[in-house]
Formats: sequence, C-alpha cells, structure tokens
Amino acid sequence: MATTVKQIPTYKPGKRQRRNTLIAYSFLAPNLIGFAVITLIPVILSVALAFFNWNGGTLDKISWAGLDNFKLIFDNFSFTKNDLGISLKNTVLYTAVSVPLTIAFSLGFAMVLNRAARAAKTFRMIFFFPYIASIVAICTCWNYILFKYGPVNTFLNYLGLHMTKSWTQSRDFAIWSLIIVNVWRHAGYYMVMYIAGLQNIPKELYEAAIVDGANAWQKFRKITLPMLTPTTFFVSIMLTITCFKVFDIVVLMTEGGPGRATQMLVTYIYELCFTQIKYGVASAVAMVLLAVVVLITIFQFKAEKKWVNYL
Amino acid sequence: MKKIVSLVLAIAMLLAILPNIAAMAEGEKTTLKVVSWDVYSGSAAWHAAIKDGFEAAYPNVEIEYVDLVSGNEYATVAGVQLAGGDTSDVYFIKEIPQIQQWSDQGFLANLDELVAEVDLSGLMGMENNLRASDGLLYALPFRSDFWVMFYNKDIFNAAGVPYPTNDWTWAEYVEIAEQLTQGEGIDKVYGTYHHTWLSAAVNWAVCDGVYTFGDGNYDPLKYFYEMIQELEDAGACMEYSEIRALGIGYRDMIYGGDTAMLPMGTWLVGGMINEKAAGTFDFDWSFASVPHKDDIAAKSTFGNLTGVSINKNATNPDVAWEFVKWLSGEEGAKAIAAVGTRPAYVSDAVVAAYSSVVGFPTDATALDALLPNMVSIEVPPGAKVPELMTIVNQEHSLIMTDEVTIDEGIASMNERAAEVMAD
Repeated sequence: MATTVKQIPTYKPGKRQRRNTLIAYSFLAPNLIGFAVITLIPVILSVALAFFNWNGGTLDKISWAGLDNFKLIFDNFSFTKNDLGISLKNTVLYTAVSVPLTIAFSLGFAMVLNRAARAAKTFRMIFFFPYIASIVAICTCWNYILFKYGPVNTFLNYLGLHMTKSWTQSRDFAIWSLIIVNVWRHAGYYMVMYIAGLQNIPKELYEAAIVDGANAWQKFRKITLPMLTPTTFFVSIMLTITCFKVFDIVVLMTEGGPGRATQMLVTYIYELCFTQIKYGVASAVAMVLLAVVVLITIFQFKAEKKWVNYL
Repeated sequence: MKKIVSLVLAIAMLLAILPNIAAMAEGEKTTLKVVSWDVYSGSAAWHAAIKDGFEAAYPNVEIEYVDLVSGNEYATVAGVQLAGGDTSDVYFIKEIPQIQQWSDQGFLANLDELVAEVDLSGLMGMENNLRASDGLLYALPFRSDFWVMFYNKDIFNAAGVPYPTNDWTWAEYVEIAEQLTQGEGIDKVYGTYHHTWLSAAVNWAVCDGVYTFGDGNYDPLKYFYEMIQELEDAGACMEYSEIRALGIGYRDMIYGGDTAMLPMGTWLVGGMINEKAAGTFDFDWSFASVPHKDDIAAKSTFGNLTGVSINKNATNPDVAWEFVKWLSGEEGAKAIAAVGTRPAYVSDAVVAAYSSVVGFPTDATALDALLPNMVSIEVPPGAKVPELMTIVNQEHSLIMTDEVTIDEGIASMNERAAEVMAD
C-alpha cells in the first residue's frame, strides 16, 4: 500500500511571520515600556544601590561600599536594641497574627453571607466597605475608638480590666491596635474571594455527604475547607505580602512609636531614606525585606503540595 | 480621515504657540519659580506679601510658587525633587539642617561672592548661623522666628491673675498654669499647652546658648521633662498621649480658648492676627518672653531661621540672586513684616512695620519680648544631627507616654547617641 506522506510545512520565519511578531510586540510595548521604566529599572537600581554609599545629590557623590551597608545594619544585631532587629521582629509579629486572623474572619463572614438573600448582599457590602474607605478616615476613627477614654477601654474597664492608656500610645498595645485595624480593613475584601470560592464547590458533594449522614461540622471540615484550599493558598500569599509592606496604618496611627514599638521594616526604610538621607543603607534594608518575603513565599509554594487540593 | 487628523494636529500646534506669542507681545517677562510650603494655606499671607512686593519692585519678573507638602515633610519632598535635577530657581529652607544636607549633595549655589557686594548689616551676623560645615554660605535668612509665650488675656482676667512678665522663671510659670486650670471634661480650660514636638517640651535646654542637641548628652533635658510631668500630673496641660491619639492641633487649642498660655514660635503671631480679624475668636491676646531657668538670664529663647537659597540648576540664576538679595534685605523684610511675620533683617523701619500691623499686641511686655537677649539655634547643623534627632525623638515619645521613666529614657538617649557619635 503506497501511502503518500503529506509533507508538513516546516516552520520558516518568513517576512510575514516577522511582521506578525513585530505587531504583537508593538501591542505589548506601551505596557512593557511603562513597566520597565517605573518598576523594573528602579528595582534593579535599588538592588545595586544597596552596595553603594549615596546620601543623595548628584551621581558623582556615589561611591562603592561593598557589604558595608549590610554590616552597618547587622552590626550588634538584636531584637531589642538594633533597629533592623526591632523592625524585623515587629513586622513578623504583625504578619504572623494578622494573616491567620484575617483568614478566619473573612472565611467566617463568607460562610455566613454566602446566600442569595437580600440581607446577605447588604451585609456583604457593609463588610467590604472598610476596604474602599479612606485609610486616613479609618485610622482617625480607630484612634478615637482605642483612645484612653474611648469605647473599647470603657468596655474593658467595665469588665474589670484596668485600662489606663490609649492603645496607640502604649508599647504593649500599639502593635495590637495596628493588627486590629489591619484585620478589620482586609477581612471584607478577602471575604469576597472566599464567597467566590464557596460558590465554586459542586453541590453534589454536599448532597452526597447528607445522604451519608454527615453533620454540619463534618461537611465543613471534610468538604468546605479542603475545597477552599486553593483560595486559602492565594489569600495567604497575598496577605503575607501586604502585611510585610505595611506602612500607611503605622504612619497614621503610631508613627512607629512609642519609641520603636511599632517600627516596621518599611517605616525603617522610609526613615533611613527620607529623614536621614542614606539611600544605600535604606536599600540594604529593602534587600532584607525582599529576602524575607521571597523566602516565605518559596516556603508557601513548597508547602502547597502538602495541603492544597485542586479538583 | 487623514485630512481631519492633520487639521486637528495643525490647530493643536497653533494653540500651543499662541500663549508664547501673547507673552512676546507683552515684552520679556521672566518667570521665577520659587519652591516653598503651605503657600496657599497656613503661610498664605507672607507668601502673597513676598510675591506682591517683589513683582512691584521688579515689574518684568513674575513669581510662580511651587507648593510642596506642608510641615515636616517639606524637607523630604524638596530634597527628592532637587535630587531629580529640578530646575526651579529658588528654594526656601525650612530647617537649618537642610542647608548642610543639600550643600553636601551639591544642590545649592554658593552665595559668598555675591554676598560680598551687598549690605547685610541688618541681619546682625545671623547669616553666619546658616554656614555649612565647609564654612561657606549657601542660604541667606529672611525670617527669624523664636519662641515666645502666647496668652489669652480674658482667661487671666477672669481668674484675677496678673499677666505674664518677661522675667518669669519656669517655676513661676508652672504655679500660674496650675492656678489657671479650671473646669472638667469638655469645658476644661488648661493653664497651658505643650505640643508633642520635642521643641515644645524640652528644647528650652538650649536657651543657655551653650548646650545643643548635637552634643550627644541629654541630661540637661531632665529638668524640663520633670516640669512637663508635673504640669500633666496636675492636669494643668493636656497629656502628650491624649494630644497624639486625638491628633490635636495647637492652633485649635489657643483659638478655641481651651488654654490660657501657649509657648510657641513667633510664626503664630500672623495667624493670631488674621484669625481674630476673621472672627475665629474674639478674646484679647498678647505674648511675653518664654520663662527662663534660674541659672540663665531672662529673655533667653531659641529659634529657627528660615532661609532662601538658589538651586545650582536654576533656570534664571541672575534673577534668583536679585530675589534673594531683595528678600533678605530691608525691602523684603518690610514686606513680610507688614503681614505680621518676623523678618530676619531688622532696622527701625522694619520694626515699625512689624509692630504697627493692625491687631498686633501693643503692650510694653510684648514689644519688649520682641527683642530677646539671646536666641539660640533650635537644632544645630551637623552631619550626625539627623540621626541623633531620630533617636531623641523616639525616646522622647517613650518618656512622654510614661512607658519609661525620665531617667531611663535619658540614659537610653545617651547610650544610643554614644553609638552614633562613635561611628
């Protein structure tokens, strides 16, 4: 049997091909150029800057520093005395508490509000509101709520606790006031993601579970939670990064104080960069921040295989 | 289609050229770009006075203000703008350490040669306080603000307490502040008010003219921390933590009649005059010298100079120099004095212009307080000063919120400062 093998036309990058490629790039160009100019190049420059001395000014004032900037910030490293140590400790504590709390609240709200009733829609809007409200207004309100004679302290005093200070003006409470505001602000936003996740869970799974006689807790534990793991994974990464770069709430509520009680990595970078005008040292701290976030994200992706289920 | 596009483009180009043609018709008019803060809000009056005065004297120049953020962020934002190669002509200097930083960075034009040809006697040598560590001059002062003590005469009258005098000691001040405090809750009137700044609380330590924050030793602050603590404990001034948590402004306190006394810089004089004229408040007010410590002379205070400098990249350096010369000289001084702002250049004509502003206090005490015996510099220039001030401010917030005792806080300031000084 004689078979005629049809010749598959081999790929020849002809004129037409090249033109198509160019057209494709020209469509991408506005975005790519913008990204390169305002994001990529500054990022690369700031990595480089960490190895130079530069206190601002014209470019001839830059000199090679090698690892001096890193030596300076790691000099006498401790979590109680050294600026880098203190801001690292504060940022990690802030993140480690904020992320699980925000996830718990947003999942809780999503579970309760994942229904078509009109009231549920209204409440969803209310819970989402903090995310779109002006952060300045939010922080001003919370400053009043957590004030020495504010509603929170009045209530706690009524319960018999002896609250004598504004939360934001106390070394022990200041960071907790930031965490409260952060969780309150983000819970509504991630609630929306969880609602989307919940609506993607096939109804059949629950029906089968009911037939098998599963109770509400078992359904939540064995179906809802595992089916939501992709959402939880995404939310936890987004939240971790958001928490690590916290700045606005700190500046508006505590200015890093009292003392250095709420100094975070980013506020420390700001202080070094814009108050003390030490661009090189500030970039070195920024590299530390980058390294920490990258390490945590790698860890999260590695762990993903162990606990995240995709259908 | 193509025709329409080219027509639109042609019209657009014509429109772009038109304003230039109009400008040419009017004759060459130079626009001088002046970078400053609060141009249209808090400091609107003296900015307008400068613009009007200079444009009247130099009709072919138009001043265009570049209004950057206000308050403490000005130095930051202006510095970043300069680092970016900005070509605005003139930069106002809000705080003296800026001069050191910016001249180190090569942003400012040197003024020594230019200054040699003008008469600066009215500055009484104050320009030397602005010299950078290389001994050169990069800015001239045009405002000289120092701290005085404002008071609400109505509250003193109601309490039957005699008005402050220029020779008060801090001990007398505390006593009177406690005496004047009255009321509870929302109606409470405080005897005095110390704002959250370091300068409003403990900067008095530099009034002896010897001690500075650049020394790295902060023991002299103890006396004043104890004084503030005594005032707070007696309820005679609002607590630091309360001011911080509620974001209270010192202007609201005095305008609202919530405090009898207020140690504050002379920059508030203009505000007091304008706000009273605008009907924000209607009580009588005046000011006296800040109190003094027993061991130093009365009428000693500290202050800050506001400077004017020329950008090294200025588009119009010659016009900029004319502006600097005018502003730091007698004519500029008269212009800003006329709106209640205290100029650096002093002559009989300037003092007359300053104190004859409608609404300016006329009592002998206030007029005498305008001529202090000594005005120390609030924060000295110096390469390590910004870092030292960061530390002092952090520990300041701990002491003021009672998170650490005064002794612990000061010990920590000294310890951390020693590390910085050793580097």
